[in-house]
Amino acid sequence: MTTHRKSVQAYLLSAPALVIIALLFLFPSIYNVILAFQELSPFQAPSDGTWVGLGNFRYVFSNPEFGSILTNTVFWLTALTVVLRIVFGLALATTLHSPVLQRWKVRGVARTLVLIPWMVPPVVAVASWRWLLDGNSGVLNQTLVGLGVVDSGIPFLAQTSTVWWSVVAIIVWRELPFVVMVLLAGLQSIPTEQYEAASLDGAGRSRSFRSVTIPNLRPVLTVVVLVTVIQTFNNFVYVWLTTGGGPGTFTAVLATELYSTAFFGNRLGAGAAIGLVMTVIMAVFAVLYMRATRSENQA
Amino acid sequence: MSAVTQTEAPPVQRKRRDSSARRASDLLVLVPFAVVLLAIIFPVLWMVYSALRPVQEIAAGVSWGSLLDNASLDSFSRLFAATNFEQYLVNSIVMCLVGTFATVVVASLAGFALSRYAFRGRGVMFLVLVATQLLPFVVLITPVYLFFSQLGLLNTYPGIVIVYVAMTLPLAVLLMTGFFNSVPRSLDEAARVDGASTLTVLTRVIAPLAWPGIVTVAVTAFIAMWEEFLFAQVFLTDDSLKTVQVGLAGLFGEYGTDWGVVMAASTIAAAPTIILFSFLQRRLVAGVAAGAIKG
Repeated sequence: MTTHRKSVQAYLLSAPALVIIALLFLFPSIYNVILAFQELSPFQAPSDGTWVGLGNFRYVFSNPEFGSILTNTVFWLTALTVVLRIVFGLALATTLHSPVLQRWKVRGVARTLVLIPWMVPPVVAVASWRWLLDGNSGVLNQTLVGLGVVDSGIPFLAQTSTVWWSVVAIIVWRELPFVVMVLLAGLQSIPTEQYEAASLDGAGRSRSFRSVTIPNLRPVLTVVVLVTVIQTFNNFVYVWLTTGGGPGTFTAVLATELYSTAFFGNRLGAGAAIGLVMTVIMAVFAVLYMRATRSENQA
Repeated sequence: MSAVTQTEAPPVQRKRRDSSARRASDLLVLVPFAVVLLAIIFPVLWMVYSALRPVQEIAAGVSWGSLLDNASLDSFSRLFAATNFEQYLVNSIVMCLVGTFATVVVASLAGFALSRYAFRGRGVMFLVLVATQLLPFVVLITPVYLFFSQLGLLNTYPGIVIVYVAMTLPLAVLLMTGFFNSVPRSLDEAARVDGASTLTVLTRVIAPLAWPGIVTVAVTAFIAMWEEFLFAQVFLTDDSLKTVQVGLAGLFGEYGTDWGVVMAASTIAAAPTIILFSFLQRRLVAGVAAGAIKG
Protein backbone atom coordinates (compact mmCIF):
# COMPACT_ATOMS: atom_id res chain seq x y z
CA MET A 1 0.00 0.00 0.00
CA THR A 2 2.55 2.56 1.10
CA THR A 3 5.10 1.35 -1.43
CA HIS A 4 2.46 1.65 -4.12
CA ARG A 5 1.67 5.17 -3.01
CA LYS A 6 5.37 5.99 -3.01
CA SER A 7 5.74 4.80 -6.63
CA VAL A 8 2.79 6.93 -7.69
CA GLN A 9 4.43 9.89 -6.01
CA ALA A 10 7.71 9.22 -7.81
CA TYR A 11 5.90 9.12 -11.16
CA LEU A 12 4.09 12.35 -10.39
CA LEU A 13 7.36 14.05 -9.49
CA SER A 14 9.05 12.83 -12.68
CA ALA A 15 6.05 13.49 -14.92
CA PRO A 16 6.82 17.09 -15.95
CA ALA A 17 10.39 16.20 -16.93
CA LEU A 18 9.32 13.07 -18.80
CA VAL A 19 6.55 14.88 -20.69
CA ILE A 20 8.93 17.64 -21.84
CA ILE A 21 11.60 15.13 -22.89
CA ALA A 22 9.03 13.01 -24.73
CA LEU A 23 7.61 16.02 -26.58
CA LEU A 24 10.94 17.51 -27.60
CA PHE A 25 13.16 14.45 -28.05
CA LEU A 26 11.28 11.17 -28.41
CA PHE A 27 8.33 12.16 -30.63
CA PRO A 28 10.43 14.35 -32.94
CA SER A 29 13.00 11.54 -33.31
CA ILE A 30 10.27 9.13 -34.37
CA TYR A 31 8.56 11.70 -36.59
CA ASN A 32 11.89 12.51 -38.25
CA VAL A 33 12.05 8.92 -39.53
CA ILE A 34 8.53 9.22 -41.01
CA LEU A 35 9.30 12.65 -42.48
CA ALA A 36 12.40 11.30 -44.24
CA PHE A 37 10.09 9.33 -46.55
CA GLN A 38 7.75 12.24 -47.27
CA GLU A 39 7.69 15.40 -49.33
CA LEU A 40 6.77 18.50 -47.31
CA SER A 41 7.55 22.23 -47.24
CA PRO A 42 7.82 24.39 -44.12
CA PHE A 43 4.55 26.08 -45.10
CA GLN A 44 2.48 22.87 -45.03
CA ALA A 45 0.95 20.92 -42.16
CA PRO A 46 2.42 17.51 -41.29
CA SER A 47 -0.81 15.91 -42.56
CA ASP A 48 -0.10 17.30 -46.06
CA GLY A 49 3.02 15.16 -46.42
CA THR A 50 3.04 12.97 -49.52
CA TRP A 51 4.86 9.63 -49.42
CA VAL A 52 7.82 9.53 -51.76
CA GLY A 53 9.45 6.26 -50.71
CA LEU A 54 13.23 6.54 -51.02
CA GLY A 55 12.94 9.69 -53.14
CA ASN A 56 14.51 11.95 -50.52
CA PHE A 57 17.49 9.64 -50.11
CA ARG A 58 17.94 9.43 -53.87
CA TYR A 59 17.83 13.22 -53.99
CA VAL A 60 20.43 13.53 -51.22
CA PHE A 61 22.84 10.89 -52.53
CA SER A 62 22.55 12.01 -56.16
CA ASN A 63 23.85 15.45 -55.20
CA PRO A 64 27.25 15.55 -56.96
CA GLU A 65 28.67 17.34 -53.93
CA PHE A 66 27.54 14.75 -51.39
CA GLY A 67 30.95 13.04 -51.39
CA SER A 68 32.81 16.24 -50.58
CA ILE A 69 30.21 17.19 -47.93
CA LEU A 70 30.82 13.82 -46.27
CA THR A 71 34.61 14.19 -46.49
CA ASN A 72 34.39 17.71 -45.07
CA THR A 73 32.28 16.50 -42.15
CA VAL A 74 34.27 13.39 -41.34
CA PHE A 75 37.79 14.66 -41.92
CA TRP A 76 38.01 18.45 -41.60
CA LEU A 77 35.21 19.16 -39.16
CA THR A 78 35.45 16.09 -36.94
CA ALA A 79 38.60 13.92 -37.16
CA LEU A 80 41.11 16.73 -37.55
CA THR A 81 39.68 18.96 -34.81
CA VAL A 82 39.29 16.06 -32.38
CA VAL A 83 42.87 14.85 -32.91
CA LEU A 84 44.22 18.39 -32.49
CA ARG A 85 42.14 18.87 -29.34
CA ILE A 86 43.44 15.63 -27.84
CA VAL A 87 47.08 16.45 -28.66
CA PHE A 88 46.96 20.07 -27.44
CA GLY A 89 44.68 19.05 -24.59
CA LEU A 90 47.18 16.48 -23.33
CA ALA A 91 50.01 19.01 -23.60
CA LEU A 92 48.12 21.72 -21.74
CA ALA A 93 46.69 19.38 -19.10
CA THR A 94 50.09 17.88 -18.28
CA THR A 95 51.60 21.39 -18.06
CA LEU A 96 48.79 22.56 -15.77
CA HIS A 97 49.29 19.45 -13.68
CA SER A 98 53.07 19.78 -13.46
CA PRO A 99 54.66 20.71 -10.11
CA VAL A 100 56.39 23.66 -11.81
CA LEU A 101 53.21 25.75 -11.86
CA GLN A 102 52.51 24.89 -8.26
CA ARG A 103 56.00 25.92 -7.21
CA TRP A 104 55.47 29.34 -8.80
CA LYS A 105 51.94 29.59 -7.41
CA VAL A 106 50.40 30.19 -10.83
CA ARG A 107 48.35 27.05 -11.32
CA GLY A 108 45.01 28.66 -10.49
CA VAL A 109 45.59 31.67 -12.74
CA ALA A 110 46.79 29.48 -15.59
CA ARG A 111 43.76 27.24 -15.30
CA THR A 112 41.39 30.21 -15.47
CA LEU A 113 43.16 31.60 -18.54
CA VAL A 114 43.01 28.24 -20.31
CA LEU A 115 39.25 28.18 -19.65
CA ILE A 116 38.53 31.59 -21.15
CA PRO A 117 37.66 30.47 -24.71
CA TRP A 118 35.06 28.14 -23.22
CA MET A 119 33.41 31.06 -21.40
CA VAL A 120 32.73 32.78 -24.71
CA PRO A 121 29.51 31.87 -26.59
CA PRO A 122 30.20 30.11 -29.93
CA VAL A 123 28.68 32.97 -31.95
CA VAL A 124 31.00 35.43 -30.20
CA ALA A 125 33.96 33.12 -30.82
CA VAL A 126 33.21 33.12 -34.54
CA ALA A 127 32.70 36.90 -34.62
CA SER A 128 36.00 37.56 -32.84
CA TRP A 129 37.94 35.22 -35.08
CA ARG A 130 36.40 36.60 -38.25
CA TRP A 131 37.59 40.01 -37.12
CA LEU A 132 41.08 38.67 -36.32
CA LEU A 133 41.27 36.96 -39.71
CA ASP A 134 39.74 39.84 -41.70
CA GLY A 135 41.48 40.20 -45.05
CA ASN A 136 42.03 43.96 -44.85
CA SER A 137 42.04 45.35 -41.34
CA GLY A 138 42.27 42.13 -39.30
CA VAL A 139 45.08 42.17 -36.75
CA LEU A 140 46.67 39.00 -38.13
CA ASN A 141 47.01 40.39 -41.66
CA GLN A 142 48.02 43.82 -40.35
CA THR A 143 50.83 42.15 -38.43
CA LEU A 144 51.91 39.94 -41.33
CA VAL A 145 51.99 42.89 -43.70
CA GLY A 146 53.71 45.05 -41.10
CA LEU A 147 56.45 42.45 -40.63
CA GLY A 148 56.83 42.15 -44.39
CA VAL A 149 55.83 38.47 -44.43
CA VAL A 150 53.21 39.12 -47.11
CA ASP A 151 52.63 42.08 -49.41
CA SER A 152 48.87 42.28 -48.97
CA GLY A 153 46.35 40.71 -46.61
CA ILE A 154 45.44 37.04 -47.01
CA PRO A 155 41.66 36.56 -47.43
CA PHE A 156 41.66 33.59 -45.04
CA LEU A 157 37.95 32.77 -45.29
CA ALA A 158 37.55 33.53 -48.99
CA GLN A 159 40.14 31.19 -50.50
CA THR A 160 40.02 27.40 -50.53
CA SER A 161 43.64 26.93 -49.45
CA THR A 162 43.13 28.57 -46.04
CA VAL A 163 39.42 28.42 -45.29
CA TRP A 164 39.28 24.98 -43.66
CA TRP A 165 42.32 25.66 -41.53
CA SER A 166 40.62 28.83 -40.30
CA VAL A 167 37.45 26.95 -39.36
CA VAL A 168 39.54 24.23 -37.67
CA ALA A 169 41.42 26.90 -35.69
CA ILE A 170 38.17 28.44 -34.43
CA ILE A 171 36.72 25.09 -33.36
CA VAL A 172 39.91 23.91 -31.67
CA TRP A 173 40.31 27.26 -29.87
CA ARG A 174 36.76 27.32 -28.52
CA GLU A 175 36.41 23.61 -27.68
CA LEU A 176 39.89 22.88 -26.32
CA PRO A 177 39.24 23.92 -22.68
CA PHE A 178 36.63 21.20 -22.20
CA VAL A 179 39.15 18.54 -23.21
CA VAL A 180 41.85 20.11 -21.05
CA MET A 181 39.63 20.15 -17.97
CA VAL A 182 38.49 16.56 -18.36
CA LEU A 183 42.05 15.32 -18.94
CA LEU A 184 43.28 17.41 -16.00
CA ALA A 185 40.67 15.77 -13.76
CA GLY A 186 41.91 12.43 -15.08
CA LEU A 187 45.54 13.30 -14.35
CA GLN A 188 44.68 14.40 -10.84
CA SER A 189 43.12 11.03 -10.12
CA ILE A 190 46.30 9.07 -10.96
CA PRO A 191 47.93 7.88 -7.71
CA THR A 192 51.37 9.49 -7.26
CA GLU A 193 52.73 6.14 -6.01
CA GLN A 194 52.67 4.90 -9.59
CA TYR A 195 54.98 7.70 -10.70
CA GLU A 196 57.25 7.11 -7.73
CA ALA A 197 57.44 3.42 -8.55
CA ALA A 198 58.22 4.22 -12.18
CA SER A 199 61.03 6.60 -11.29
CA LEU A 200 62.47 4.06 -8.86
CA ASP A 201 62.55 1.67 -11.79
CA GLY A 202 64.62 4.26 -13.60
CA ALA A 203 61.89 5.54 -15.92
CA GLY A 204 62.52 9.00 -17.29
CA ARG A 205 59.87 11.61 -17.90
CA SER A 206 58.81 10.37 -21.34
CA ARG A 207 58.87 6.75 -20.22
CA SER A 208 56.61 7.37 -17.25
CA PHE A 209 54.30 9.41 -19.49
CA ARG A 210 54.03 6.40 -21.80
CA SER A 211 53.80 3.75 -19.11
CA VAL A 212 51.89 5.50 -16.32
CA THR A 213 50.00 8.54 -17.65
CA ILE A 214 48.60 7.20 -20.90
CA PRO A 215 47.39 3.81 -19.58
CA ASN A 216 45.71 5.56 -16.65
CA LEU A 217 44.09 8.16 -18.89
CA ARG A 218 42.87 5.63 -21.41
CA PRO A 219 39.31 5.29 -20.01
CA VAL A 220 38.94 9.08 -19.81
CA LEU A 221 40.38 9.56 -23.30
CA THR A 222 37.97 6.94 -24.63
CA VAL A 223 34.97 8.87 -23.30
CA VAL A 224 36.28 12.29 -24.35
CA VAL A 225 36.90 11.15 -27.91
CA LEU A 226 33.42 9.62 -28.17
CA VAL A 227 31.66 12.70 -26.77
CA THR A 228 33.64 15.24 -28.81
CA VAL A 229 33.28 13.25 -32.04
CA ILE A 230 29.49 13.06 -31.65
CA GLN A 231 29.15 16.73 -30.73
CA THR A 232 31.43 17.99 -33.49
CA PHE A 233 30.08 15.75 -36.24
CA ASN A 234 26.62 17.25 -35.63
CA ASN A 235 27.82 20.80 -35.12
CA PHE A 236 26.15 23.46 -37.18
CA VAL A 237 27.08 26.83 -35.77
CA TYR A 238 30.83 27.04 -36.43
CA VAL A 239 30.82 26.30 -40.15
CA TRP A 240 27.56 28.13 -40.74
CA LEU A 241 28.61 31.39 -39.18
CA THR A 242 32.26 31.30 -40.27
CA THR A 243 31.82 30.50 -43.94
CA GLY A 244 28.13 29.72 -44.55
CA GLY A 245 29.51 26.61 -46.25
CA GLY A 246 31.48 28.74 -48.71
CA PRO A 247 33.39 29.80 -50.70
CA GLY A 248 30.68 28.34 -52.96
CA THR A 249 29.97 25.03 -51.23
CA PHE A 250 33.61 24.29 -50.45
CA THR A 251 33.15 23.98 -46.68
CA ALA A 252 29.60 22.58 -46.63
CA VAL A 253 29.08 19.89 -43.95
CA LEU A 254 26.12 17.60 -43.23
CA ALA A 255 24.62 19.89 -40.59
CA THR A 256 24.73 22.99 -42.79
CA GLU A 257 23.43 20.95 -45.75
CA LEU A 258 20.48 19.76 -43.62
CA TYR A 259 19.68 23.34 -42.63
CA SER A 260 19.95 24.72 -46.17
CA THR A 261 17.92 21.87 -47.66
CA ALA A 262 15.12 22.16 -45.09
CA PHE A 263 14.84 25.92 -44.63
CA PHE A 264 16.22 27.45 -47.83
CA GLY A 265 15.35 24.68 -50.26
CA ASN A 266 12.01 24.20 -48.43
CA ARG A 267 12.42 20.41 -48.57
CA LEU A 268 11.79 19.28 -45.01
CA GLY A 269 11.65 15.63 -46.09
CA ALA A 270 15.10 15.75 -47.67
CA GLY A 271 16.37 17.59 -44.59
CA ALA A 272 14.96 14.83 -42.39
CA ALA A 273 16.65 12.25 -44.65
CA ILE A 274 20.01 13.96 -44.13
CA GLY A 275 19.33 13.96 -40.39
CA LEU A 276 18.61 10.24 -40.52
CA VAL A 277 21.83 9.59 -42.45
CA MET A 278 23.75 11.58 -39.82
CA THR A 279 22.13 9.62 -36.99
CA VAL A 280 22.92 6.28 -38.64
CA ILE A 281 26.56 7.27 -39.28
CA MET A 282 27.00 8.31 -35.65
CA ALA A 283 25.24 5.22 -34.30
CA VAL A 284 27.46 2.93 -36.41
CA PHE A 285 30.53 4.88 -35.34
CA ALA A 286 29.56 4.68 -31.66
CA VAL A 287 29.02 0.90 -31.82
CA LEU A 288 32.26 0.19 -33.70
CA TYR A 289 34.17 2.59 -31.50
CA MET A 290 32.95 1.04 -28.26
CA ARG A 291 33.76 -2.42 -29.58
CA ALA A 292 37.25 -1.38 -30.60
CA THR A 293 38.02 0.44 -27.37
CA ARG A 294 36.58 -2.33 -25.21
CA SER A 295 38.90 -4.95 -26.71
CA GLU A 296 41.77 -2.49 -26.50
CA ASN A 297 41.03 -1.65 -22.88
CA GLN A 298 40.91 -5.33 -22.04
CA ALA A 299 44.09 -6.19 -23.92
CA MET B 1 63.11 -4.70 -10.83
CA SER B 2 64.12 -1.45 -9.19
CA ALA B 3 67.81 -0.74 -9.09
CA VAL B 4 68.91 2.48 -7.44
CA THR B 5 72.56 2.80 -8.41
CA GLN B 6 73.12 6.52 -8.03
CA THR B 7 75.28 7.46 -5.09
CA GLU B 8 73.40 9.99 -3.05
CA ALA B 9 74.93 13.42 -2.55
CA PRO B 10 74.81 14.85 0.97
CA PRO B 11 71.30 16.24 1.42
CA VAL B 12 72.16 19.92 1.98
CA GLN B 13 74.32 20.22 -1.11
CA ARG B 14 71.82 18.39 -3.20
CA LYS B 15 69.04 20.73 -2.25
CA ARG B 16 70.98 23.80 -3.32
CA ARG B 17 72.03 22.39 -6.67
CA ASP B 18 68.48 21.29 -7.24
CA SER B 19 66.91 24.64 -6.61
CA SER B 20 69.09 26.65 -9.00
CA ALA B 21 68.98 23.98 -11.70
CA ARG B 22 65.31 23.65 -11.07
CA ARG B 23 64.66 27.36 -11.45
CA ALA B 24 66.36 27.35 -14.85
CA SER B 25 64.47 24.31 -16.05
CA ASP B 26 61.23 25.74 -14.66
CA LEU B 27 61.63 28.71 -16.98
CA LEU B 28 61.87 26.30 -19.91
CA VAL B 29 58.32 25.28 -19.03
CA LEU B 30 56.94 28.62 -17.87
CA VAL B 31 58.05 30.88 -20.72
CA PRO B 32 56.62 28.84 -23.61
CA PHE B 33 53.52 28.15 -21.53
CA ALA B 34 53.03 31.88 -20.92
CA VAL B 35 53.27 32.51 -24.66
CA VAL B 36 50.66 29.80 -25.32
CA LEU B 37 48.35 31.27 -22.67
CA LEU B 38 48.68 34.70 -24.23
CA ALA B 39 47.74 33.24 -27.62
CA ILE B 40 44.74 31.52 -26.03
CA ILE B 41 43.32 34.66 -24.46
CA PHE B 42 44.32 37.04 -27.26
CA PRO B 43 41.08 36.79 -29.32
CA VAL B 44 39.03 37.78 -26.27
CA LEU B 45 41.37 40.63 -25.33
CA TRP B 46 41.30 41.86 -28.92
CA MET B 47 37.51 41.70 -28.95
CA VAL B 48 37.18 43.98 -25.92
CA TYR B 49 39.98 46.22 -27.15
CA SER B 50 38.40 46.63 -30.60
CA ALA B 51 35.01 47.37 -29.04
CA LEU B 52 36.59 50.35 -27.29
CA ARG B 53 38.24 51.87 -30.39
CA PRO B 54 36.90 54.95 -32.12
CA VAL B 55 35.47 54.21 -35.56
CA GLN B 56 38.21 55.72 -37.71
CA GLU B 57 40.82 53.54 -36.00
CA ILE B 58 38.90 50.32 -36.63
CA ALA B 59 38.80 51.11 -40.33
CA ALA B 60 42.49 52.04 -40.42
CA GLY B 61 43.51 48.84 -38.66
CA VAL B 62 46.11 48.45 -35.95
CA SER B 63 48.41 51.28 -35.10
CA TRP B 64 50.67 49.85 -32.44
CA GLY B 65 51.89 53.35 -31.62
CA SER B 66 48.57 54.65 -30.29
CA LEU B 67 47.44 51.36 -28.85
CA LEU B 68 45.98 52.70 -25.64
CA ASP B 69 45.09 56.27 -26.58
CA ASN B 70 41.57 57.63 -26.84
CA ALA B 71 39.39 54.67 -25.90
CA SER B 72 35.74 55.41 -26.61
CA LEU B 73 32.27 53.96 -26.30
CA ASP B 74 31.65 55.05 -29.87
CA SER B 75 30.98 51.52 -31.13
CA PHE B 76 28.49 50.81 -28.37
CA SER B 77 26.46 53.93 -29.13
CA ARG B 78 26.48 53.07 -32.84
CA LEU B 79 25.34 49.54 -32.00
CA PHE B 80 22.33 50.75 -30.06
CA ALA B 81 21.56 53.47 -32.58
CA ALA B 82 21.66 51.23 -35.63
CA THR B 83 20.03 48.04 -34.32
CA ASN B 84 17.39 46.86 -31.86
CA PHE B 85 20.12 45.37 -29.67
CA GLU B 86 18.47 46.60 -26.47
CA GLN B 87 15.35 44.65 -27.51
CA TYR B 88 17.47 41.53 -28.16
CA LEU B 89 19.02 41.89 -24.72
CA VAL B 90 15.62 42.12 -23.04
CA ASN B 91 14.42 39.09 -25.03
CA SER B 92 17.44 36.99 -24.10
CA ILE B 93 17.31 37.95 -20.44
CA VAL B 94 13.57 37.19 -20.12
CA MET B 95 13.77 33.90 -22.06
CA CYS B 96 16.82 32.67 -20.18
CA LEU B 97 15.52 33.65 -16.72
CA VAL B 98 12.10 32.10 -17.25
CA GLY B 99 13.66 29.03 -18.86
CA THR B 100 16.21 28.64 -16.08
CA PHE B 101 13.53 28.91 -13.42
CA ALA B 102 11.40 26.26 -15.16
CA THR B 103 14.38 23.95 -15.65
CA VAL B 104 15.37 24.21 -11.99
CA VAL B 105 11.82 23.48 -10.78
CA VAL B 106 11.17 20.55 -13.14
CA ALA B 107 14.66 19.10 -12.62
CA SER B 108 14.35 19.35 -8.81
CA LEU B 109 11.11 17.37 -8.83
CA ALA B 110 12.52 14.66 -11.10
CA GLY B 111 15.87 14.65 -9.29
CA PHE B 112 14.08 14.24 -5.99
CA ALA B 113 12.17 11.24 -7.35
CA LEU B 114 15.33 9.62 -8.72
CA SER B 115 17.26 10.32 -5.56
CA ARG B 116 14.71 9.24 -2.94
CA TYR B 117 12.38 6.68 -4.51
CA ALA B 118 12.95 3.17 -5.75
CA PHE B 119 10.34 2.85 -8.50
CA ARG B 120 9.88 0.67 -11.54
CA GLY B 121 11.41 2.32 -14.58
CA ARG B 122 14.03 4.26 -12.67
CA GLY B 123 16.87 2.63 -14.61
CA VAL B 124 15.15 3.29 -17.93
CA MET B 125 14.70 6.92 -16.94
CA PHE B 126 18.43 7.30 -16.29
CA LEU B 127 19.15 5.69 -19.64
CA VAL B 128 16.76 8.08 -21.42
CA LEU B 129 18.38 11.09 -19.71
CA VAL B 130 21.85 10.03 -20.84
CA ALA B 131 20.71 9.07 -24.35
CA THR B 132 18.92 12.37 -25.01
CA GLN B 133 22.15 14.22 -24.38
CA LEU B 134 23.63 12.51 -27.42
CA LEU B 135 20.71 13.38 -29.73
CA PRO B 136 21.88 16.02 -32.17
CA PHE B 137 19.77 19.17 -32.12
CA VAL B 138 20.30 19.86 -35.78
CA VAL B 139 18.52 16.58 -36.57
CA LEU B 140 15.60 17.41 -34.27
CA ILE B 141 15.05 20.88 -35.64
CA THR B 142 13.00 19.88 -38.69
CA PRO B 143 10.37 17.78 -36.86
CA VAL B 144 10.20 20.17 -33.89
CA TYR B 145 9.73 23.08 -36.30
CA LEU B 146 6.71 21.32 -37.84
CA PHE B 147 5.20 20.49 -34.43
CA PHE B 148 5.63 24.07 -33.28
CA SER B 149 4.17 25.55 -36.44
CA GLN B 150 1.11 23.34 -35.89
CA LEU B 151 0.79 24.44 -32.29
CA GLY B 152 1.34 28.10 -33.15
CA LEU B 153 4.47 28.25 -31.00
CA LEU B 154 6.83 29.67 -33.62
CA ASN B 155 7.74 33.30 -32.95
CA THR B 156 6.51 33.17 -29.36
CA TYR B 157 8.26 33.48 -26.02
CA PRO B 158 6.67 30.25 -24.65
CA GLY B 159 7.83 28.30 -27.72
CA ILE B 160 11.50 29.08 -27.33
CA VAL B 161 11.32 28.71 -23.53
CA ILE B 162 9.93 25.17 -23.93
CA VAL B 163 12.78 24.33 -26.32
CA TYR B 164 15.34 25.75 -23.90
CA VAL B 165 13.92 23.87 -20.93
CA ALA B 166 13.96 20.62 -22.90
CA MET B 167 17.50 21.31 -24.09
CA THR B 168 18.89 21.79 -20.57
CA LEU B 169 16.67 19.34 -18.70
CA PRO B 170 18.46 15.98 -19.14
CA LEU B 171 21.76 17.21 -17.72
CA ALA B 172 19.97 19.26 -15.04
CA VAL B 173 18.06 16.20 -13.78
CA LEU B 174 21.23 14.09 -13.66
CA LEU B 175 23.16 16.80 -11.80
CA MET B 176 20.29 17.45 -9.40
CA THR B 177 19.97 13.74 -8.58
CA GLY B 178 23.65 13.67 -7.67
CA PHE B 179 23.35 16.76 -5.46
CA PHE B 180 20.27 15.40 -3.65
CA ASN B 181 22.04 12.08 -3.11
CA SER B 182 24.64 13.90 -1.04
CA VAL B 183 21.97 15.15 1.40
CA PRO B 184 21.53 12.54 4.17
CA ARG B 185 18.21 10.70 4.01
CA SER B 186 17.86 10.67 7.76
CA LEU B 187 16.92 14.35 7.53
CA ASP B 188 13.88 13.85 5.32
CA GLU B 189 12.82 10.85 7.36
CA ALA B 190 12.95 12.96 10.50
CA ALA B 191 10.89 15.65 8.81
CA ARG B 192 8.34 13.10 7.62
CA VAL B 193 8.00 11.76 11.16
CA ASP B 194 7.11 15.33 12.12
CA GLY B 195 4.34 15.19 9.51
CA ALA B 196 5.95 17.14 6.65
CA SER B 197 4.58 16.53 3.15
CA THR B 198 6.76 15.54 0.21
CA LEU B 199 6.94 19.06 -1.19
CA THR B 200 7.74 20.46 2.25
CA VAL B 201 10.61 18.01 2.59
CA LEU B 202 11.93 19.06 -0.81
CA THR B 203 11.60 22.84 -0.33
CA ARG B 204 12.31 23.17 3.40
CA VAL B 205 14.75 20.36 4.16
CA ILE B 206 16.62 19.31 1.05
CA ALA B 207 16.74 22.49 -1.05
CA PRO B 208 18.42 24.60 1.67
CA LEU B 209 21.16 21.97 2.01
CA ALA B 210 21.57 21.33 -1.71
CA TRP B 211 21.43 25.00 -2.74
CA PRO B 212 25.02 25.15 -4.04
CA GLY B 213 24.09 22.33 -6.38
CA ILE B 214 20.87 24.05 -7.38
CA VAL B 215 22.80 27.23 -8.17
CA THR B 216 25.22 25.18 -10.28
CA VAL B 217 22.33 23.67 -12.24
CA ALA B 218 20.73 27.10 -12.70
CA VAL B 219 23.94 28.70 -13.95
CA THR B 220 24.75 25.81 -16.31
CA ALA B 221 21.24 26.01 -17.76
CA PHE B 222 21.31 29.80 -18.07
CA ILE B 223 24.65 29.73 -19.91
CA ALA B 224 23.45 27.02 -22.31
CA MET B 225 20.27 29.01 -23.09
CA TRP B 226 22.14 32.29 -23.45
CA GLU B 227 24.60 30.77 -25.95
CA GLU B 228 22.02 28.88 -28.03
CA PHE B 229 21.87 29.93 -31.67
CA LEU B 230 20.26 27.35 -33.97
CA PHE B 231 16.74 27.18 -32.50
CA ALA B 232 16.59 30.90 -31.85
CA GLN B 233 17.59 31.52 -35.48
CA VAL B 234 14.97 29.17 -36.95
CA PHE B 235 12.08 29.71 -34.51
CA LEU B 236 12.24 33.46 -33.94
CA THR B 237 12.06 35.30 -37.23
CA ASP B 238 10.40 38.50 -35.94
CA ASP B 239 13.00 41.13 -35.26
CA SER B 240 11.21 42.07 -32.03
CA LEU B 241 11.79 38.54 -30.67
CA LYS B 242 15.41 37.93 -31.66
CA THR B 243 17.96 36.92 -29.07
CA VAL B 244 21.36 38.49 -28.49
CA GLN B 245 23.23 35.69 -30.31
CA VAL B 246 20.97 35.86 -33.38
CA GLY B 247 21.14 39.65 -33.39
CA LEU B 248 24.93 39.46 -33.20
CA ALA B 249 25.14 36.87 -35.99
CA GLY B 250 23.11 39.22 -38.19
CA LEU B 251 25.71 41.97 -37.80
CA PHE B 252 28.60 40.31 -39.60
CA GLY B 253 29.03 38.43 -42.82
CA GLU B 254 28.27 40.91 -45.56
CA TYR B 255 30.86 43.14 -47.17
CA GLY B 256 31.41 46.33 -45.27
CA THR B 257 30.87 44.82 -41.84
CA ASP B 258 31.29 47.45 -39.12
CA TRP B 259 33.69 45.46 -36.96
CA GLY B 260 33.68 48.00 -34.15
CA VAL B 261 29.94 47.49 -33.74
CA VAL B 262 30.30 43.69 -34.04
CA MET B 263 32.95 43.64 -31.31
CA ALA B 264 30.82 45.86 -29.07
CA ALA B 265 27.89 43.47 -29.53
CA SER B 266 30.22 40.49 -28.98
CA THR B 267 31.48 41.96 -25.74
CA ILE B 268 27.92 42.42 -24.49
CA ALA B 269 26.95 38.91 -25.66
CA ALA B 270 29.95 37.34 -23.90
CA ALA B 271 29.81 39.34 -20.65
CA PRO B 272 27.12 37.29 -18.83
CA THR B 273 28.71 33.94 -19.63
CA ILE B 274 32.20 35.10 -18.69
CA ILE B 275 30.96 36.60 -15.41
CA LEU B 276 28.84 33.57 -14.46
CA PHE B 277 31.60 31.18 -15.44
CA SER B 278 34.27 32.95 -13.43
CA PHE B 279 31.89 33.14 -10.51
CA LEU B 280 31.32 29.39 -10.42
CA GLN B 281 34.38 28.18 -12.29
CA ARG B 282 35.62 25.61 -9.82
CA ARG B 283 32.29 23.93 -9.31
CA LEU B 284 31.24 23.97 -12.97
CA VAL B 285 34.52 22.48 -14.09
CA ALA B 286 34.40 19.80 -11.44
CA GLY B 287 30.84 18.95 -12.44
CA VAL B 288 31.52 18.79 -16.17
CA ALA B 289 34.75 16.84 -15.75
CA ALA B 290 33.17 14.38 -13.34
CA GLY B 291 30.24 13.92 -15.68
CA ALA B 292 32.53 13.16 -18.59
CA ILE B 293 34.71 10.78 -16.60
CA LYS B 294 31.81 8.84 -15.11
CA GLY B 295 30.29 9.12 -18.59
